Amino acid sequence: MLNFPAWKVALICLVLLWGGLLALPNAFTDGFLGIEPRDTGATDPQSIAEYQQQMEEAEASWWPGVLPTSKVNLGLDLQGGVYLLTEIDPDEVAANRLETLQADIRDVLNSAPLITRDVPEQQGSTLPIRLRNPEQMDDALRRLRRINPTIGATGGEKIMSIEAQGNDLIMISVSQAARQALAADAQDKMIEIIRRRLDPDGVSEVSITPQGDTRIVIEAPGEADPRRIKDILSRAGRMTFNMADSSPSSIAAAESGLPRPGWELVQDENGISYLINRTPVVSGSDIATANQGYDPDDNSPAVDFRLTGSGAERFGRTTANNRGELFAIVLDGKVMSAPRINEPIWGGNVQITGNFTMQEAQDLAAIIEAGELPGKLGFIEERTVGPGLGADSIRAGTRASLIGLVLVAIFMIIAYGLIGSFAVGSLLANIILILGALSGLGATLTLPGIAGIILTIGMAVDANVIVFERIREEQRAGRSPNTAVIAGYERALSTILDANITTFIAAAILYMLGSGPVKGFAVTLAIGIVTSVFTAFVVTRWFTAMWLRLAKPRKLSI
Amino acid sequence: MLLQYWPQKTDVRFMTLRLPALLFSVILIAASFGLIFTKGLNFGIDFAGGSVIEIEKPANVNEEDVRGILGGLGLGEVQVNAARGTGVEGIEVIVIRFATQDADGGDQEAAQQTANNSVRAALEDAFPGVNIRSSAAVGPKVSGELLRSGLIALGVALALMMLYISVRFQWQYALGAVAALFHDVIITMGMFALTQFEFNLSTIAALLTIVGYSMNDTVIVFDRVREEARKYKKLELGKVIDLAINQTLSRTLLTSGTTLLALFSIYIFGGTVLSGMSFALIFGVIIGTYSSIFVASALVLQLGIDRGDKPKREVVGFQGV
Repeated sequence: MLNFPAWKVALICLVLLWGGLLALPNAFTDGFLGIEPRDTGATDPQSIAEYQQQMEEAEASWWPGVLPTSKVNLGLDLQGGVYLLTEIDPDEVAANRLETLQADIRDVLNSAPLITRDVPEQQGSTLPIRLRNPEQMDDALRRLRRINPTIGATGGEKIMSIEAQGNDLIMISVSQAARQALAADAQDKMIEIIRRRLDPDGVSEVSITPQGDTRIVIEAPGEADPRRIKDILSRAGRMTFNMADSSPSSIAAAESGLPRPGWELVQDENGISYLINRTPVVSGSDIATANQGYDPDDNSPAVDFRLTGSGAERFGRTTANNRGELFAIVLDGKVMSAPRINEPIWGGNVQITGNFTMQEAQDLAAIIEAGELPGKLGFIEERTVGPGLGADSIRAGTRASLIGLVLVAIFMIIAYGLIGSFAVGSLLANIILILGALSGLGATLTLPGIAGIILTIGMAVDANVIVFERIREEQRAGRSPNTAVIAGYERALSTILDANITTFIAAAILYMLGSGPVKGFAVTLAIGIVTSVFTAFVVTRWFTAMWLRLAKPRKLSI
Repeated sequence: MLLQYWPQKTDVRFMTLRLPALLFSVILIAASFGLIFTKGLNFGIDFAGGSVIEIEKPANVNEEDVRGILGGLGLGEVQVNAARGTGVEGIEVIVIRFATQDADGGDQEAAQQTANNSVRAALEDAFPGVNIRSSAAVGPKVSGELLRSGLIALGVALALMMLYISVRFQWQYALGAVAALFHDVIITMGMFALTQFEFNLSTIAALLTIVGYSMNDTVIVFDRVREEARKYKKLELGKVIDLAINQTLSRTLLTSGTTLLALFSIYIFGGTVLSGMSFALIFGVIIGTYSSIFVASALVLQLGIDRGDKPKREVVGFQGV
């Protein structure tokens, strides 16, 4: 127990050194470590000055590349930011997907020999079709099955379940399995679209992760206002170009409930009504890119976009055939712009102008380019911490840790004297190892996590105390210092393991079932338990062994 | 050092006090249940749903002004309180709370999020440049799930602890230990009902930590009981348990002492966010220390242990580094 051959000493030193090196980056600024600042795209002078200063610092850095540079990851409650939990409604996704098949369903039932022209509107995600002639049932079922696509890769679940009910009714619905497959598919698509909307340039630190089958977690560090994100993600993003008619007579007819067949009324943000053709000339999939640009007339922010080859071709032809008419750019059921076609527009470059701020134009461009969401995204939880509160929490947490550490150290030295100071030494080693492990594992430190570290500081001495108390007893029983220490450690081991395994179980459960900040608490608690057993049982023992060898005390004063 | 002056051998007859202690614990548990069911726990938005928004108190603005501004938004009852914010200086803040929004059978989740948006807008209108330090809106769906998973976590923890102790010790110990854990958890919850401190996710984290800590304490006493029971086969069990408790007493007090020092430093200096959690932990450490002696050990004495056989499992020798 007191025998420390060179390799054991080397191993202990190696572990401590490694932990120390992993923890070291936390003491320095990013620039000092040679980490180049992130280009956030901010254009105000202060941000640019900061960026340049950090860049210079990073370039002047002499930090060797072989040393670690990653720091402890701060949770949103410490660095400030927005956390949003969103949910997809699988029923709505199913209904939306079924709706896209309606045109095909009408077509196949409409073709010769005619089965029915009378396909009703779907109710939710079911579509009952009544046949005129029951003898056509088999033919109808065959035709419908031919247009039933699979979800995702081939061989997957079919979208529609098509059943005959009675002799003249066909019930089309979306089965439970198909709903799940659609939701999973929608979740993947949503994540991709959310990323393109919130982070069109791929520079921000926003993190978008799936949770379960229907939920998506969005974490945006540094963001102080959740409204912008909520707003960007609330829009469906369905963008179409439609031919439009604003003549007073057609509008009046439509308002009295008799629109031209195949046309519908929509309004712009000023409440002006337009009659638009339901069949769009250009839709979302025809848009290649969208960017924030400037209106050449007054240099105000605008949205520029470019159509794909086939979209540009179709748009060009339509504009050539409809000179003098209006066309409307419609986003989510609202007319954004309705210019008159003065000449054919070839080339597929289009601009929307309006009273946009720079931010609005950028967000709108991102929404248009990212495309339409497969369903509505519902927000079910929001947590935002401003940068001020985050910084205050770090300061308060750091102060509480330092005070706790000093108090525990004083207490241990008063209680046990010299050997207590060995325990304090290993307590410091413990904190370095915790920081090293957090940095090395890329774990997230939250405010409750800091509480976990402080709690570990208090409980870490427990293993030392158990050993010391054993040593006291053994010495009282008349043993020499060396044998007392050996016996103390030997007999305390099973107790220490039993006691710590139980706390570890609690931390592990907390980690598995907890969320966010609480998870952070579980991580530091669990890491703290492992490192404190190591430091108390190995590091303190090593200190004690060295001291026994060097000082050769007759009696331990503990 | 000072510990040398701690008596070499204490001889407190803890087990003779077990009946009064039992009475005391039963009264505490009954009172806790009473409080939990009558006064109820003050669930935070994690479990009850709703919104909390904290702003830095603008100059010359009081709670009444804020209440007036938010009164017209139709959010139901809005609580507005002044407080000291987390931080070294502890600036003055105003905390705004309101419950889950009623959506007339519509989408409550969306209504909750919209309510937060409109509060932000109203505050920004009324106090230009206001510093919104934090905001949270938890819909009814999420809060229900959080409560459920919190309770499941507690249940799973208790079950696993019982399993571990049953494997390492005899079943009587496991029963004693788990009774002590229930005792600690119920009384700590009772304390939350009494003080009406907010009961939230961090409180569940604290309860689980208390479970771990109390278990830790109990295991250390049990370890000694097992060892002494093997050494003094003829000594009656009550005396063996007293001996074990006395032998571990200085350790129990020291560890509780250092842990409490650390916890008080969180409670006093860690800011408002952590104060509820550290309060639970402080109370739990004290009650956990008490229960390992007077609940866990007393129950083992009552149940008796099997002292004839060798223990089921001996710790396998462990060679340290």
